[in-house]
Amino acid sequence: MPELGRAALVLCLGLALYALVAGGYAAATRKRRLARSAQNAIFAVFASSVVAAIVLLAALLRHDFSFTYVAEHTSRRLPTPYTISAFWGGQEGSLLLWLLILTGLSALAIALARRTAADLVAWVVPVLALVASFFAFMLVAVSSPFATQVAPADGAGLNPSLQNPYMMIHPPCLYLGYVGLTIPFAFAMGALLARRTDELWIVVTRRWTLVAWTALGVGQLLGAHWAYVEVGWGGYYAWDPVENAALMPWLAATAFLHSVMIQEKRGMLKVWNVLLVTLAFCLSLFGTFLTRSGVVSSIHSFTQSPLGGWFLGFICLIAIGSLALILNRLPLLRSKTRMESLVSREATFLYNNLLLVALSLTILWGVIFPILTEAVRGEQITVSAPYYNFFLRIFGLPLLLLMGLGPLVAWRRASLRSLGRSFAWPAGIALAVGIVLLLLGAGSSWIGLLAYTFSAFVLGSIGYEFVRGTRARRALTGGPWLAAFSELVARNRRRYGGYIVHAAVVLLAIGVVGSSAYDKVSEQTLSAGESMSIGHYGLTYDRLVRQQGPNDTEFRAVLDVRKDGSRIGTLQSGKNSYPAEQQTSNEVGIRTDYLTGEDLFVITDQINPNGTIAFKVLVKPLVNLIWLAGFVFLIGSLVALWPSAVEQRRLADRYRELRVYARA
Amino acid sequence: MARPSPVRLVIALSVAAALAIFLLYVSVAGGTPSIQPSQLPGHKGDVALVGKVSGSPAGDAHADGLRFRIRDVSGSTSVPVVYTGSVPDLFRVGREVRVEGKLHDGVFVAKKDSLRTKCPSKYTTKKST
Repeated sequence: MPELGRAALVLCLGLALYALVAGGYAAATRKRRLARSAQNAIFAVFASSVVAAIVLLAALLRHDFSFTYVAEHTSRRLPTPYTISAFWGGQEGSLLLWLLILTGLSALAIALARRTAADLVAWVVPVLALVASFFAFMLVAVSSPFATQVAPADGAGLNPSLQNPYMMIHPPCLYLGYVGLTIPFAFAMGALLARRTDELWIVVTRRWTLVAWTALGVGQLLGAHWAYVEVGWGGYYAWDPVENAALMPWLAATAFLHSVMIQEKRGMLKVWNVLLVTLAFCLSLFGTFLTRSGVVSSIHSFTQSPLGGWFLGFICLIAIGSLALILNRLPLLRSKTRMESLVSREATFLYNNLLLVALSLTILWGVIFPILTEAVRGEQITVSAPYYNFFLRIFGLPLLLLMGLGPLVAWRRASLRSLGRSFAWPAGIALAVGIVLLLLGAGSSWIGLLAYTFSAFVLGSIGYEFVRGTRARRALTGGPWLAAFSELVARNRRRYGGYIVHAAVVLLAIGVVGSSAYDKVSEQTLSAGESMSIGHYGLTYDRLVRQQGPNDTEFRAVLDVRKDGSRIGTLQSGKNSYPAEQQTSNEVGIRTDYLTGEDLFVITDQINPNGTIAFKVLVKPLVNLIWLAGFVFLIGSLVALWPSAVEQRRLADRYRELRVYARA
Repeated sequence: MARPSPVRLVIALSVAAALAIFLLYVSVAGGTPSIQPSQLPGHKGDVALVGKVSGSPAGDAHADGLRFRIRDVSGSTSVPVVYTGSVPDLFRVGREVRVEGKLHDGVFVAKKDSLRTKCPSKYTTKKST
């Protein structure tokens, strides 16, 4: 069996290299049949990587410990879902998943676009093939999932902290995001290579970018929730390099999603767009590199990892190659139109882009700072939460404000009178909310108060847009409000889907600010029967329960919870002890108030031999809005993604127009 | 003569603003040196000490402090540490940890709740068991 897997990977590499060379040659010499053959080779790489994936999956499910990978990441007692998730639990499997998703998406993108954008696809194929070749090469030569050994009696098992249902969904979701960014990048490079610097590549890849970006965003929120309920320190994001690894490309992709609209509408920012998509793709490669190379812990461990050097080399190759290509095509990327005013829709998009990129790059700087200082001074200087929080505020608050301003400002040039008209309502709402919050005592955190006032402004401006649109629609068609509203959204899915996503970002901001700027913490050691209080909650430690789990011993402290003096139930918080792995894990107790979105978060920090327990209790207001934001975000993305007949017609016209343009 | 594009002005101004903000930040609060026990002599201020847990951890982290030693990742120099606050699940002798604080009479006095373990699943450096 391992031979089949290895053979499939070698075949992947061979086919990908063929697609690279033949595809490039065919595109350069305009040989149609050869270009077709290169496309088919990409389909075959996908088929071959499916075979490799099936071999690994079968080995995992059969507990075939003669596969080194299976022995190192699973054990016989491991429940089946986690045995499957071990596919991406280690380095080799993760790389195989990368290749599998990459070739799957590539095949689909080529199949969908080769009719409407044939000349583009001819050049996209070698770019995709280059990326696929790299990953296939890594799997064949550097980090093979099909290494074999004499089978031990049992495997090493999966780290207990990874044994969580989120292990099933969080990593694949993130990978879909990382890998998905390859598609817009490949089309951008394909467009430059083919000298088709019109909007075609953007029109073709809009959905691909949106899918990758959505997956990356949802994946991060899943990870945040996982950290929140499982790691048990009371937070959901710690600015860990591995977390930042996904945030950086997401921010760059967010900027890209916005700036391509400017190119679509006004034909501007062409150079910026190809630069941004290159940045987003490089950051996504860098993210994979970060999580897999060990470079973060030390520059020295970096040299121990066989993967690091190759990855760094490939990132450099992509970055330098793309930049050289962009420079070479610069004359073709001149805009036909230019920005007319600094107070216009385009200008707000530009500010939003600069802020997003600045935020992304400051995070990058923070991540590589220890590596740089170690290389230069021989001593690591690390930056931590204060650094990131500082820049999140500096760049994040203006971003929040812009999100409210953008939709209200007219394209090209906004007049003061129209601005005043559309600003009146949202600004009034924001002011009122700010004053009410100040009276309620939110002034304890100025940042929080500012963020909430801005949030109210954004929600006000989104609401205003919906009301204005619905009213206009109703004036046109008559009929009831609800029908006018749903028609409005259905006919402008991109726009109103976008507004829903904006609303999700506001919910996220409210949740993050609420749970960090207005939280309460209390630590106390209690004997059975003793009580403590925090905010409007009272807790009494009742008793300690001990029970035997399948592969662990579980201790649970049972607490009585009161709120504003009246009893509202019991809460369990404790620790699990895994003897085989010699490890304990915190099992926090969380009580959610679904009405206010507030969590009471109880950590059993230490169980003492004398029976007393050191508790750490947090009250986190509004934290559940973060998870709600995830759902709203997904809904907004789906609305923007959903195909509509109107849009299909518009697209068809667009393709025809662009074809005429290309011939001219 | 063509008017220079406002886009350039915006970009130039924002680059200047970003630099100014950055300098402001750096002057207000810098990073923390991250060092191993053997590099500890010579550092007076706050540092992040990185290394492997050694010795036999004893004491109460929620009372007068948990006492253990931190050793160089590949070396034998070690330093006694006293720590109060939450102890992460993954804390164990032999594990790589990071703790912030400063040296005080030969003992590294850690800041409350600053102990972190390096996640074994994420930073795969080499085959580990």
